[in-house]
Amino acid sequence: MRSNIGLQMVMAAYLAVATVGYVIVSYLVFGYVEPIGTIVIGFSVLLSLLIAFFLYSGLSKDSELPEDRLDGEIADDSGEVGFFSPWSWWPLALGLACAMLFLSLAVGWWVTFIAVPLAIVAVLGFVYEYSRGAHAH
Amino acid sequence: MTTTSEAISPPVINRPNSTSVGTIVWLGSEVMFFAGLFAMYFSLKAGAPDLWANDAQILNVPFALINTLILVSSSFTAQFGVFAAERLQPRRTGASPAKWGMIEWFFLTYILGGIFVAGQIWEYAMLVSEGITLSSNSYGSAFYITTGFHAMHVTGGLVAFLLIIGRAYAAKNFGHKEATSAIVVSYYWHFVDVVWIGLFVVVYILK
Repeated sequence: MRSNIGLQMVMAAYLAVATVGYVIVSYLVFGYVEPIGTIVIGFSVLLSLLIAFFLYSGLSKDSELPEDRLDGEIADDSGEVGFFSPWSWWPLALGLACAMLFLSLAVGWWVTFIAVPLAIVAVLGFVYEYSRGAHAH
Repeated sequence: MTTTSEAISPPVINRPNSTSVGTIVWLGSEVMFFAGLFAMYFSLKAGAPDLWANDAQILNVPFALINTLILVSSSFTAQFGVFAAERLQPRRTGASPAKWGMIEWFFLTYILGGIFVAGQIWEYAMLVSEGITLSSNSYGSAFYITTGFHAMHVTGGLVAFLLIIGRAYAAKNFGHKEATSAIVVSYYWHFVDVVWIGLFVVVYILK
């Protein structure tokens, strides 16, 4: 995990330098510190630091990943990554509900009266899929 | 022969939980979403400083400060709920808060978050009655779009807390799956709380 943290820290350092550079260049070119780019580049420092800090806070002594080792191979990275539902239909239902919500912007607000109940059903089905029925535990 | 089988068996990889990492990466994208809103606020402010000097005086700062303290305290109650979830304790074993489970702490968090959103709505109603609306001028647009998107995030977090509380009730055996979802919802809640502190400083303090 050290290499992942290192990558994020390199990005944070680069973006911090880029922010300072942007402030200086925008002041020289426009005569004032341009706010939009300064804020957005500055926040991307936070974006990298957030992920780096999270990985660092979860770092334990036995958390060496294959990408941290010089002799690591791609194949060493195989194995379980996490739990992913193999056959769930709920993401499709939720995606359809979201598509209908956006469709309502083009067609008319009345479509939301169909899309929102569908979205509520899809979210509840998605969240509780592994809490009920055959998967109740 | 034992040495060969040891060489073949793959090493155990202790990855960080993929749900937690996914949530943090998504929160990174949320950082950039709010970066866009802050950038909008500051560029509109730079374009119309007189408008800001005039309209921002109407803001009720003591009221917003109390509302901020309520939201910050809800982050602490959410964290106590996470500690209970990490103990795999969904419900209370006694009346005192020291014996509360995740459900009790998350209900308290929900109530505090609900008070915050209700306070925001009351504040909006007051401002509209004084003539600052979404379409009144660029100050109104900037104020309502930044604080409004934040309030929508808080509302989404409240829905998430209800779903997590429901999961705790649905589970006969409260396990690591339930605890993980409680923890990632608390990540989101802390993030929304930190964004509000930033918004409060920018909108109410740096008038």
